[in-house]
This record gives sequence, C-alpha cells and structure tokens, in this order.
Amino acid sequence: MATTTDRGMPGWRSALLLAPALVLLLLFLASVVQMVALSFGDGAGSGLSNYREFFARPDYVDTYLRTLQVSGLVTLFSILIGYPVAYGIWRYQGNRNLLMILVILPWLVSVVVRTYAWMVILGPRGVINEALRWLGVLEEPVKLMFNTTGVVIGLVHVLVPFMIFSVLSVLLHLDRRLEEASMSLGGNRLYTFVRVTLPLSLPGVIAGAMLIYLMSTGAIVTPLLLGGISERMIGTQIYQEVMQTFNYPKASTLAVLLLIGGVAAILPLQWLERRMGRWLGPEAGR
Amino acid sequence: MNWHRAFVIALFLLLPGPIVIVVAASFSSAGYIRFPPGALSLRWYAEFLSDPRWLEALLVSVSLALASALITTTVALMAALAAARSTGRLAALFETAVLAPLIFPHAALGMAMVALAAMFHVYGSFAGLLLAHCIITLPFAYRPISVSLRKMDATLEEAAMSLGSQPWNTFWRVTLPLLRPGIVTALLFTFIISFDEVTISMFLVGPEITTLPVGIYSYIQESGRPVVAAISSALVALTLILVLALERLVGLELFVEAERTR
Repeated sequence: MATTTDRGMPGWRSALLLAPALVLLLLFLASVVQMVALSFGDGAGSGLSNYREFFARPDYVDTYLRTLQVSGLVTLFSILIGYPVAYGIWRYQGNRNLLMILVILPWLVSVVVRTYAWMVILGPRGVINEALRWLGVLEEPVKLMFNTTGVVIGLVHVLVPFMIFSVLSVLLHLDRRLEEASMSLGGNRLYTFVRVTLPLSLPGVIAGAMLIYLMSTGAIVTPLLLGGISERMIGTQIYQEVMQTFNYPKASTLAVLLLIGGVAAILPLQWLERRMGRWLGPEAGR
Repeated sequence: MNWHRAFVIALFLLLPGPIVIVVAASFSSAGYIRFPPGALSLRWYAEFLSDPRWLEALLVSVSLALASALITTTVALMAALAAARSTGRLAALFETAVLAPLIFPHAALGMAMVALAAMFHVYGSFAGLLLAHCIITLPFAYRPISVSLRKMDATLEEAAMSLGSQPWNTFWRVTLPLLRPGIVTALLFTFIISFDEVTISMFLVGPEITTLPVGIYSYIQESGRPVVAAISSALVALTLILVLALERLVGLELFVEAERTR
C-alpha cells in the first residue's frame, strides 16, 4: 500500500526502533534451531536415530496418523459450523457488536476452562447424560468423552472462532453490490449465494482451515482432558516426553515431525488460496 | 426475519453455552460438579480465596500478563513505527516473521520454548515464562498497531511538522494520540492472551511457580472438586471485563481486523 509520502526516517533510527522486536524474533528462531538440533541427538551415533526409532514404532506412527485424522475432522466441522455463523453475523441487521462479543469472549477464555466445561457437559455424570437419564431415554450413560468424539467436540469449540473471524473478515470487505447485481439479474437467494458470495468468501475459508488444522495438530490440553490416556495425539505425546521422561531429544523429534506434517498440509492449500485470489481479483476482499 | 432470530439464539447457546454452564455450576453447594446447580452457595469461591496456593498462582498470572502486555506493546509499537509504512521486501519479510508464532502448532512451540529456557537457564522461573509469553504475544500486539498506523492519515503529521512542530513533539502530540485505538487494543489483547494462556505455560512451570490456568489444569487431573468451577468463573469474569472495556474504549473493529491471518 503506497502512503502519500515517504516519512524519510533515517536508517539508524529505524534500526533502533526495530531492534527489540528483532531480538525477540531471533530468540524465537534460536529456540526452533535448538529444538531441531536436539532432535538430531546428542552426538552419539547417527543424527537420524531418533527419526528412525519413530518410524520403527507402530504406536508412534498410529498416534501421528490419528493426529492428522482428528485435525482433519476438526477442520471440517469448523467449516460447517463456522461458515454459517460468520454469514449470519454478516447479514445481521441489528447490533453486530453484541454478536461479536458472543464469539470473541468464548474464544479468549482459557482453553483449559473451555475444555473443563465440556467435561462437565459430556462426562458420564455430565449434563447430557443426566438429562437423558432424567428423560428416561437410557439407563447406561453414553460414552461421550475419553474417545475421539469428545476430543473433536472440544477442539471444534475451541477453534471454530478462528473460522468465524477468517470468513467474516473476507465477507466484511465484500462489495454488497455484487449480490444485488446477481439478484437484480434474476438470480434467487440460493443461486446468488452459491455462485457469488460463497466463491468470493472461499479465501477466508481456506485461511481459517489452515490455521485450525495447524492449531489442532498441536493441541495438548483438550486431547489430554477429553481424550484420556488411550486417545493419544502428537501434542500430548510431546508433553509427556518433556514432563514425565524429560526426554527432550525425543520430544523435539516429534515436534519437528509435527511441523513437517503441518507444512506438508498447508503448502497445497496456500497455493490454492493464491490461485483463487488471482481468479477472483481484487474483489476477493484483500 | 425469523431465520435471523433463530440463528442468534443458536449462537447464543452454542459458543458461550458451555462457559455459562460452568459459571452456573460454580454456585452450587453440592460437593460434586452439578448442573443445574440446585441449592446455591459461595463455598467454592470461599475455598478459592482462602487457599494461598491459588492466590499465588493468580498473582503470578496477573504479573505475567501485565509485564508481557507492557513489554510486547512497547516493542510492537516501536517496530510498527519503523516497518508498517515501508513497502520494501525486507519490511514484508519482517511482518511475516513477526506473525510466525501465530501459526506455529502449540505443542511444537512449547517444546521450542523449553529448549530456549534451558539454553538461558531460566527453566521453571518467572523469567522463562515471561520470555515465552513475550514471544507468543508479539503478533497480537503488532497487528492492531500496524493496522491503525496504516489507517492513520500521514498528512496530519506533515501538517504538524510544517507548522514548526519538532519530531518528538509531533510524535507525542499527534502520532501517539492517533494510534490510541491500536495501542489500547494491543495492550488489552496481549494481557488477555497471556492471562488465559495454558498450553505453552504448562511446559514452563516448575515446582516453584505456576500460573492460574496451569493450576486449573493440574487440579482437574487430580480432583473433581468444584473449586475449579469457581476459579474458572473468576477467569471468565476477568476476561469478560477486559473485552467489554475494549469495546467501550475503542470498539472491536481493530480487533476483528487484526484477526485476519495475513
């Protein structure tokens, strides 16, 4: 974006202003480099021994695959729930701020509190099971947590606000006249949505999906509390290696594999997003 | 239109619903967590406020959030003043780097912070937690400030200068007041993010120090007593107050705009 003038700030002054932020970024970079170095072991034997060990253990590979699967499900449900919510907020005629607070507040409240709330709701003596028992529908409680169902429900609730914000920010920049044009040319509501609004808001869906996928591959608290011991994910595995066995090299190996898995999933989506941005032109809202 | 009404109600139930249930359950007098709460009492709040361990964790969380909010907002303001209006390749690279912690899966970020804390021998200390919180909150401070800088009318600064105002005076009397929405959003936003952070912090706490959210996590693992519901409600209340303050002071527009991933 071109500003009206160049502010003509001398180089040394910009450098001075940037210095503290650069220090923080360098520390961040150093932490990642150190983590990668740790994953290559402590010098004894070949540097790849931790990685070889990982792929030789079927339970680790299972955990890895389960993480990708859960994250995929969480992303899918976040789109299905988040898109209509964002669309509804966008179309809402009244006080949009109140609706925004209803999304923002749950999003900011600590993950551990939100996960605890789901334990209260989904537990064997939780809100849902008690209600069903009271209605006389069942005698035995339904198993809603300590399994994949619980983890997916919890993670969707934790992460869906990212989808809402992402879609909403694109919709808010959308030219409403495009919809009006479609309607005035005889397109009905559904047609207009499918052919105009939805395609134009897809970049927001993709950006939100990428973020949610990455966040859910790295989740720890929700899978630990709602999944129990049997429902391991890479995040919970990393946490246990660090806190229980103090095995930093192994935890680092898992973390690096997590990052690689994330990047592998993100790159095609990012390519798609860029392609789409080009197709849709400046109207795509950025 | 009825459809909108139904939608608003569904949203009202779906997103804040679970939190409302916990808050309601925290007022129960029962010895186990129950909803609807039945007979009401404040016994769990009394237990929370009379336990020095919880109060200590609360103090740690508040100091941590305050320190990281002040540090990262200052750092982000300085950086944004230098970078947000430049258009060069380096500036773009810098922005990408600032936002990188935002898309880092938390488990990997936690391990990286452990490695960093171990490198500087600050593992399990306030300094270690603060370092990590500064790194993870930086993007949340940078975005709103850079958005409000871009929206700012640069000609106002020029006008002040051409009328003889000195650079420092211009910054203090013109630029800073115009950036107030961005700065307030950054301060409150980073405070909340740090105060409610749990996933990274749980890697960095030690026998001597813990934060309130991490304390809640450990307590849930050991015991089902509803004191956790009372503490959770206190956390929700503080978060709510800060969000409402943000809405009152500067509105939520910058906040929403800053939420765009790029």
